[in-house]
Amino acid sequence: MTGKLALWAGLGLLTALFVWPTLFVGPALSQDDMTHIITDAFGVKQRPASVFVHDEHNIKAEIEDDCWLCHHFDGKNPDPMDSSAGMPCVDCHPVKADPDQTPLMQAFHKQCKDCHLEKKAGPIACGECHVRP
Amino acid sequence: MHSIYTFVTGPLVWVAFLVFIGGLAGKFVYLTSLAKNKDPYVFSYLHLKYALRSIIVWLIPFSTRNMRLNPVMTVVTFAFHICLIIAPIFLLAHVIMFEEAWGVSWWTLPDAVADVMTWVVLASIVFFVVRRRVVPEARYVTGPKEFVILGLVALPFLTGFLAYYQIFDYQTMIILHVLAGEAMLVAIPFTWLSHVMLYPMIRGYMGSEFGAERHVKDW
Ligand code: HEC
Ligand code: HEC
Ligand code: HEC
Ligand code: HEC
Repeated sequence: MTGKLALWAGLGLLTALFVWPTLFVGPALSQDDMTHIITDAFGVKQRPASVFVHDEHNIKAEIEDDCWLCHHFDGKNPDPMDSSAGMPCVDCHPVKADPDQTPLMQAFHKQCKDCHLEKKAGPIACGECHVRP
Repeated sequence: MHSIYTFVTGPLVWVAFLVFIGGLAGKFVYLTSLAKNKDPYVFSYLHLKYALRSIIVWLIPFSTRNMRLNPVMTVVTFAFHICLIIAPIFLLAHVIMFEEAWGVSWWTLPDAVADVMTWVVLASIVFFVVRRRVVPEARYVTGPKEFVILGLVALPFLTGFLAYYQIFDYQTMIILHVLAGEAMLVAIPFTWLSHVMLYPMIRGYMGSEFGAERHVKDW
């Protein structure tokens, strides 16, 4: 009896230990929960955040194994063996960039739209990505 | 969606701008050659200083007697024309599209400001419609065509607004918006919207004749 009680108490404690913090930090920083591209780099935003259900998108587009396509180290010569997954784009693409860099908004727009145009699938007009909630 | 959207935002934009600019250029050549044949003195009267003086004076609110006599119309007309011209040229979305196509960009308005300017344009057009039905001297020169043309000017702003707020089906609305803008551009050379060019031509001539020849003001 006390053994069972101890087991339940232990399980309860463990659950609380793991669930409790997530109530405070919200969703963990992982691409499987990602539904929009949220970044505070732009400051005052002009548009609602772009829709991008990370994993579902990449499965539909059949690029779920090609992290390097988007998460490159050098967009001009992306290396299939090397992915920068986990690094936000803004780390290498500042909002106000030097002349030889692609600024952040253009980096997103170019990466997303070039592929959609090429594949003739996926959104290309402003409001298709910047969907109002 | 893809093929229609890329068509209306690609080749069709070229067609619209070519007809707009080519049409106005053609009209200019036609009108000046007409004047050369019928009334060649028009050209001997032309005087740069007085032409510019008249054009500029008529661009300043309440500078002319007629503007002071109709203060409401003056305020609405000026607000309307300023918003009509400034909002589309400096709209963020338009500039982004130019930048992505040609790599050129320029200063932009915050979307919230462009929003208010769109309201001003639409409200002004409602005012013009009411005025054309109510004020006798305006009603006298108004036929169905006038309302169609006012509608043609309103449509790009109305559809742009609805697309921006994603009211009704977005994909349909954004394509309608682009088509409406192109239709308005194409209509300019062939309707009284050509006052975008006739205004400086006529003021330039009137200013020259009144200023340089008769030595009086034309306002
Ligand atoms: C279609 C392009 C694309 C592909 C393919 C892609 N990602 Fe991403 N991923 C993004 C974008 C865009 C972001 C957001 C980056 C930012 O916020 O700056 C992102 C964010 C992330 C994040 C951070 C999540 C967060 O919440 O901040 C991780 C981790 C990640 N991706 C991992 C991966 C892995 C692993 C793969 C391959 C299995 C992959 N991605 C494939 C576009 C892509
Ligand atoms: C580790 C640094 C790094 C990260 C992280 C990174 N990039 Fe890049 N990217 C580069 C470099 C370097 C270039 C080439 C110089 C340039 O255009 O800025 C480049 C170029 C690009 C280009 C232009 C490609 C071309 O053909 O001209 C695009 C678009 C782009 N990046 C999008 C993104 C997006 C979107 C992300 C986030 C998912 C991202 N980049 C993350 C380094 C990075
Ligand atoms: C390598 C190609 C590629 C890249 C890069 C890419 N996409 Fe896509 N995207 C696709 C394809 C293909 C589809 C159509 C998938 C389908 O519905 O079959 C698509 C569809 C979408 C959709 C519609 C999803 C749906 O459920 O209908 C959105 C939203 C989207 N993409 C956003 C983005 C954003 C934002 C980016 C940039 C961060 C991006 N995509 C980058 C290929 C790409
Ligand atoms: C393929 C998807 C896609 C399309 C189409 C698209 N965008 Fe974006 N845009 C993005 C992504 C992704 C970002 C970066 C994340 C964010 O802030 O939404 C972004 C960022 C921005 C930003 C900077 C952030 C802000 O809100 O101030 C602006 C402005 C913007 N987009 C405007 C536009 C306009 C205008 C159009 C149409 C001409 C457009 N976008 C079309 C995906 C898209």
